[in-house]
Amino acid sequence: MKPYLIGLAVALVLAVAPFVLGGYETNVLMMMLFFVILAVGLDLVAGYCGQFSFATGAFYGLGAYTAAIMSRDLGSPIWLNLPAGAVVAGLFGLLLGIPALRLKGHFLAIVTIAFQTIVYLVISQWTSFTGGQVGVSLPNPAPLTAFGVTLVQLGSLRSYYWLTLAVAVICLLLAWRLAHSRLGSEWIAIRDDETLAAAVGIDTTRGKLTAFIASAALAGVAGVLTAHAMRGVTPDDFTIWISATVVAMMVLGGRGTFIGPILGAVFLVLMPEVLGRLAEYKMLIYGSLLVLAITLMPEGVIGRLRRRAAR
Amino acid sequence: MDLFLQYVANGVVTGSTYVLVAVGLTLIFGILGVVNFAHGEFYMIGGYVGIVAITMLKLPVLAAIAVVLLAAALVGLVAEAILHKPLKSRDATNSIISSFGLAVALQNAALLVMGPQPQRLNLDVSKIPVLSSLPTDFGPVFLPQQRTLIPLTMVILIGVLYAVLKYTWTGRSLRAMAQHATVARLCGVRVQSVAVVTFMVGSALAGIAGMLMSSIFFVYPVVGNMIALKAFTVVILGGMGNVAGAAVAGLLLGITESLTSAYVANSMRDVVGFVFVILVLLFRPQGLFGKAAERS
Repeated sequence: MKPYLIGLAVALVLAVAPFVLGGYETNVLMMMLFFVILAVGLDLVAGYCGQFSFATGAFYGLGAYTAAIMSRDLGSPIWLNLPAGAVVAGLFGLLLGIPALRLKGHFLAIVTIAFQTIVYLVISQWTSFTGGQVGVSLPNPAPLTAFGVTLVQLGSLRSYYWLTLAVAVICLLLAWRLAHSRLGSEWIAIRDDETLAAAVGIDTTRGKLTAFIASAALAGVAGVLTAHAMRGVTPDDFTIWISATVVAMMVLGGRGTFIGPILGAVFLVLMPEVLGRLAEYKMLIYGSLLVLAITLMPEGVIGRLRRRAAR
Repeated sequence: MDLFLQYVANGVVTGSTYVLVAVGLTLIFGILGVVNFAHGEFYMIGGYVGIVAITMLKLPVLAAIAVVLLAAALVGLVAEAILHKPLKSRDATNSIISSFGLAVALQNAALLVMGPQPQRLNLDVSKIPVLSSLPTDFGPVFLPQQRTLIPLTMVILIGVLYAVLKYTWTGRSLRAMAQHATVARLCGVRVQSVAVVTFMVGSALAGIAGMLMSSIFFVYPVVGNMIALKAFTVVILGGMGNVAGAAVAGLLLGITESLTSAYVANSMRDVVGFVFVILVLLFRPQGLFGKAAERS
């Protein structure tokens, strides 16, 4: 029960935060929530299942472009775009998961980077469909209505922030349940020893594919939220640097610890705000932190703490 | 037909840079087992050092080449200390993440120092003694000397590398390491110095490629991303750790890309290699020319 109570308390604090904070700070918090979803999503496939993916940015972009293009061509509202983005990104996750069945370690890493690059090239060059370098712009999110009655206005920053928070909480709950389900244990077994996992009767094909799909779908959801929050998408929002940032968040916090990547995301999103003028060096710092973390503390902050506690 | 030959020649020029970058990458992988995602940054640094040496310091070309070689080798030395030395007893994912972090850090350092605008090297070929007397027309094919220089340098450097690997003591220890690291150590190969040499050679080759290409294409901070991916494509096609395979696959990729952009669509140029690589990894993971071996 304890993790749920802590989660609830944090969510409540975040829910009242916009009353205290200004618009800029609320935007930062919203950005933080997007990255929390991304980092937890990556943790499912890389931390729990041990399949390294550098394609988070691609799935993030696929979700965002799904929302943007659906809004443009079909005029669909956000509550329809959210599941659609998850499904589209999830399908591409399945697509990337198939080579992952046969590849390990560096081969897999190369394929995920190639996938990330292909997605970027396609969205930046297929001008007639994706708008090329200019991207696609989105209208203000339409209010959530049921039977002609307006339930929630989403036009203002505050209401959109609450929607983001609600979706993030649902995503984290789902991810938590998945990670602690039988399927989650199968992922851990595959990560620890794939041969042994297969030998005791775990369907490793199913395990790996589900991890890829879950991870991609979460990134897709974050993409839809981002697209509507930014009122538009451009290819340069979904480069390999996004993947690098999310990998850094997960590694710093601790792979396969669930809470670690969340803290990593919070830390790396808030850090540039504290740095002030040094924020220009953000990506330089992220890259160096990644090198330092893997050299000195490959299990991450939370992993290190847990190991110390276990002694 | 004439145009076809021109496209092939252009492909050979880009393919030669792929060879230069990929050979270093495949050496680092084959000998040390490090998957170096920061390899494209060696290329980028080579390009920038070349621009600084020739445009700002006004050095003659040969001296500039020496400066680039030296600077890139130095970068390789540092990269070894970051990517290989502290991580060599750990599993491969560590060096993957670490080199990825190093790549991002180097790109952003370049962005801060050199700025985001693409830059180009004005290589005045008329001042280079032998090169300026070379013809620019080979039958129906037209190649400016800046372009001819690239395959030429590639052939010379790869030839030297091949001779070094084959006939010198250093080359023997490199090959011994590639075959079996533990046995090599038992036979008295100095593993640490071999590692440093491998990184320095790989980085120097990529740096030269970056400098030579910067007289034809622009250099910008993230130019290495695409080059590294191309080099990985080449390494995988040629078989991980296979120098000769990388040389053949590099030229093949260059020519394929050139023909794709001429006869299919220019936007497909970069995609074709990656699609190829995913297919090869799925159906022939040992590479086009590699022998099948079990992977653990």
